[in-house]
Amino acid sequence: MTFKQINMDARIRYSVLLIGVGIILAFLPFDAAQTFRLKSNELLTKSASEDMYFSVDQLARAVNSEDSTIQIIDVRSAAQFKECNIPSSINIPFDDLQNPLWEATLNQKKVKNILYGNGDQTASYAWTIVTGLGYPNNYMMKGGLNEWFRTVMLSQYSGEKITPTENARFENRLNARKAFTQINSLPDSLKTKFFNAKRLNQSKLDGGCN
Amino acid sequence: MQQLKNLKFVILLIVVLLILVIIRISDQSLFKKDVKSAIQAIQNNSNLLSPEQLNQLKGPWVVVNIGNSDLPDSIHVEHSMKIPFENLLDQTNRKILEGVDGKLILYSADVATASKVWVILNQIGFNNAFILNSGGNPEELKYKFQPDKSARLEQDSI
Repeated sequence: MTFKQINMDARIRYSVLLIGVGIILAFLPFDAAQTFRLKSNELLTKSASEDMYFSVDQLARAVNSEDSTIQIIDVRSAAQFKECNIPSSINIPFDDLQNPLWEATLNQKKVKNILYGNGDQTASYAWTIVTGLGYPNNYMMKGGLNEWFRTVMLSQYSGEKITPTENARFENRLNARKAFTQINSLPDSLKTKFFNAKRLNQSKLDGGCN
Repeated sequence: MQQLKNLKFVILLIVVLLILVIIRISDQSLFKKDVKSAIQAIQNNSNLLSPEQLNQLKGPWVVVNIGNSDLPDSIHVEHSMKIPFENLLDQTNRKILEGVDGKLILYSADVATASKVWVILNQIGFNNAFILNSGGNPEELKYKFQPDKSARLEQDSI
């Protein structure tokens, strides 16, 4: 067998292999990059678990303590977000969920993603999609912003006696309400300034530098 | 003939690859649809049905009640079945769902459950799944935020 023949055989082999793989890829019914990574039963089990929920009170506590282990994500439209939002939340509209720009924010292991909408529907869709895509640490605030208004913004105590637990809960809601009202009453330019100042204060408390 | 002999390893490799692809495609526990299709359907609200639309449906359909509570009195349906959320994809239930002729209409007392189930079923490939929206628009903000015009930031916070 001459060198030319060996070279020819190799070329034919590679060509057949490439054509074969090409045909298989062309007939694949889906683009793997765009599909859920989790198995269906795995996603169903996670979806059915109550562990996926954060209560409004839990989120209010996180807002008050400026908990850096959570990241609050508002899945409503930009216009709705502008009107009012939970302090320190990030706006990732549901329609824009697949934008590659958000992947680094959503697909991370450091903090918990707490999703919320006005009710439970959009946040549930968003939670199922990001969890299905394999992003870790996803939760949603049960009841959405409607529940936040009902529980936090309209909270009042009318009894004669108050137990320490009730008092703590009421104070938590009251502080969250103050933060919500204060932030959402500001013009947009001041909101940014406020959060930058908060971050600076936090870094000073943590012993960091400017 | 000689050339075919030379190619037998390549053909073997392609066959093995093909078998692996077929095994993957036929794995029922894997999702096969593009997420974009679910997002688009949600954006257009084409995955929702109101009780009025349900009453006007002409083709065959079945209401699947996911959860423990019964269907509300306002919805009178002849064809309904109850499947607990966590058992939805058990082999028996999956066969039942796959055997549904016409529209598969999902209902749950809380809108979150039906919404999660719809996304899962849609991504598995149930193109006939819809959500029965019985209580108006669940995403409507029922409260109006009243800004505090006198709100000022404390001087030391800026």
